[in-house]
Amino acid sequence: MGRRRRRVDRGAAVGALPEAIAALSRTLPAGPSPEIFRRAKFDRPEAAPALWQLLFRVLSPLSADGASASPAQGEPPSTEAQVRAVKSELRSQGYPRQALAQLPEDGSQGSRELLLALAWLLARGPLLERLLAQTRVRLGDEIPLCECEALARPGPPVPRVEADGPVDIRHLQWLMGKLRFQWRKLITSQQEQCALLGKIHSYTRGCHSDRSLGHLSVAETELLRDAEGGQQDTVLGTCPPEASQPTFVPRIPERGAGEWELVARELQALQEELRGAAEPRRAAWEARVGGWGPEWSAVQRASREAVGLELAALQRAWERGGAAAQPHGPCRLVKSDAGASGGPGLRAAQVIEVLRSREACLEAVLCQLQRQCRQELARLAGALPGLIWILPPGR
Amino acid sequence: MLPADCSRRLVAELRDALDACAERQRQLERSLRVSRRLLRTWEPAETPAPQPTPAPETSGEAPSPESTPSSQDLKELELLTQALEKAVRVRKGISKTGERHKALSLKSGSAATSATTASAPSRPSGQASCRVSETKPPRGIQQTVVPARGLPESRLLSVGDRTHMGRGSRATKPGPGPRDQQIPPSAALQAPEAFTLKEKGILLRLPMAYRKAASRNSRLWAQLSSAQTSDSMDAAATAKTQFLQKMQMTSGGPGSGLSAAAVEAEVGLLRTACLLLRRRMEEVLSADPADCMQEYRCLLTLEGLQAITEQCLHRLQELRAAVVGRQLGPWPVGRRPGASLPCGGGTDPLWSPQLLLYSSTQELQTLEALRLRLAMLDQQIHLEKVLMAELLPLVGTQGPHWLALCRAVHSLLCEGGERFLTVLRDEPAD
Repeated sequence: MGRRRRRVDRGAAVGALPEAIAALSRTLPAGPSPEIFRRAKFDRPEAAPALWQLLFRVLSPLSADGASASPAQGEPPSTEAQVRAVKSELRSQGYPRQALAQLPEDGSQGSRELLLALAWLLARGPLLERLLAQTRVRLGDEIPLCECEALARPGPPVPRVEADGPVDIRHLQWLMGKLRFQWRKLITSQQEQCALLGKIHSYTRGCHSDRSLGHLSVAETELLRDAEGGQQDTVLGTCPPEASQPTFVPRIPERGAGEWELVARELQALQEELRGAAEPRRAAWEARVGGWGPEWSAVQRASREAVGLELAALQRAWERGGAAAQPHGPCRLVKSDAGASGGPGLRAAQVIEVLRSREACLEAVLCQLQRQCRQELARLAGALPGLIWILPPGR
Repeated sequence: MLPADCSRRLVAELRDALDACAERQRQLERSLRVSRRLLRTWEPAETPAPQPTPAPETSGEAPSPESTPSSQDLKELELLTQALEKAVRVRKGISKTGERHKALSLKSGSAATSATTASAPSRPSGQASCRVSETKPPRGIQQTVVPARGLPESRLLSVGDRTHMGRGSRATKPGPGPRDQQIPPSAALQAPEAFTLKEKGILLRLPMAYRKAASRNSRLWAQLSSAQTSDSMDAAATAKTQFLQKMQMTSGGPGSGLSAAAVEAEVGLLRTACLLLRRRMEEVLSADPADCMQEYRCLLTLEGLQAITEQCLHRLQELRAAVVGRQLGPWPVGRRPGASLPCGGGTDPLWSPQLLLYSSTQELQTLEALRLRLAMLDQQIHLEKVLMAELLPLVGTQGPHWLALCRAVHSLLCEGGERFLTVLRDEPAD
């Protein structure tokens, strides 16, 4: 089937188009019929509402049960709200065409523009796969290696009563302490869960029909446990929800633009310092080395290469941090002894290494921030004479 | 007291962080409940009956229900099974508190004499804490009696037999470990016994309908991922890029194809870059070059760092131009402004579910602990930046209780809230 399709595609793509559109309309949530697509091509107004709805469903991040992410309201939002949301979302993703922003908010026009927008989304990234990944049932014990999916999803709704008036800084200290304690609790709970998972995987070794998996997952074991009680239908319904835990979603910073200035200032200061450090050294070096022989140049070249490699490694630390090698989306955990040799799948040892290097990078960033604070505070405190500042014992 | 708007923002940030933590904890607790339930005895006592024709690899040793194993075989198998159970329990029990041991040592004295003699063969060889293993097995025997509702008599009988079986079995003691549960419990004990995953997990079989659906599912995913690497995909990829470029050109303004999200993320990246570059610079400047070579390397490193910094500045200007040039849309509500280390995302990431193979529980624990640590560091860095932005200006303007504020801010910003410095007044001696 696949082979035939490829040959068709290479030749006249037109033949495969109806089939593709039919498949698309089946796959997309709230998928419009192929007729809608055809009408949209001719910019017929009656196709517009369906496409607005489609884009809204596709762009709004899905919550765990696949419902649209406006949990506060019981019914789906109004057409105007949908139109506004779609416009804003497309704009923030960088949709280039202005025509979309100018479409009326009652959702009555612009089906061709919407078709273009859909095509743009499909062309930009793995939209269908991502939708699939969001809505599929998780059969295995999954662990997300990349938090990008979690970032795209909004955190739990925050209809929070605003904090009352000014607080003492001790309240902040207390909150920080509470946070530290929570993390520690999290870690111990997580360790326990890992131990239990390891046991379940061991005890069910050899049970799975799929040899590459070898053992059952928690979901599958639960399926069997509850199957006897005639609860098969409900088991899939209670399948473990989104295993990928969302990272926290802080409030929209009220001074978003400020970061640009801050970074610019910091980079410029750094540049100045580097120039101040490098130039005299270069001058001194040239003065010393001026008359040295040709064998020195080979050594120089070797040094240059070595330093180049080091700096490249440093650059990689912040640019896309080696995450290109990692798969997105969650991975299914499989306990296996045959880890060393080939076969599909990632090895935990490798993933651990990657995570460790990322950890080192983040630790360096945090350390550096703390050092900056220390310097700044020292400067401010130094303005007040007559005090002795005794720092806490070092780590 | 902090000013009202500052308080509001900081408290909100910290509460968000706590909420995120609490959400993770909730999900973990849910998973823990599920897992614990599976590892307990499965109620009601009906067991998921193993398929009438069990798969060859596990039934190799288990006799079919029809054939009757000799009583000798039966007893030996039972003995082995119970010995394994105890071994596992002993291993678990070693990590329990000391009070348990004391209570049990009192009990063991009054326990049935058969129990104490039978405890001897089950002491696993090689265990360091012999005292523990003496006290644990009596409890273990009590535990084995309880679940075997259907056959209490046969178990007790076997306990008595074990006294003279015990010595014989010591020589053939198998190494304790979950692997050995591959030896299936005797077929004759299949009668109404409560089901535990530990003992009978390997007998489980997935229903046929599920197996068919799962294999079809994995076949389709394999098809999808193989289709992604075929030649037609390259043609599709070029078609896509051409389409995107055309879209870009027909749009109103020049546009760089960047979104507000991307710009924000890159600015964050550049900030991280600045921090790491500065750190490397400080390392180089504080190092003492021992010889010419090292001096030269220091020089090259500094110049290299300078070049990279200039690149970063240049990129920052480009981003600025992009932002100013085309009014990028407002940030959509509810999104996180930018991770400290966002991932590529764009270029063909793998979306099909992948396998992650781990070899031991320790490895899995290390992996998960690292993931949590990364999330925690991420959160800490974000909080650090927010606190810096809000609190440092307050320290700059001296007000009442400035010293206390300074001390608290130092602790929060420089020590993660864990340590405090001391301030002494430098009183001149009179």
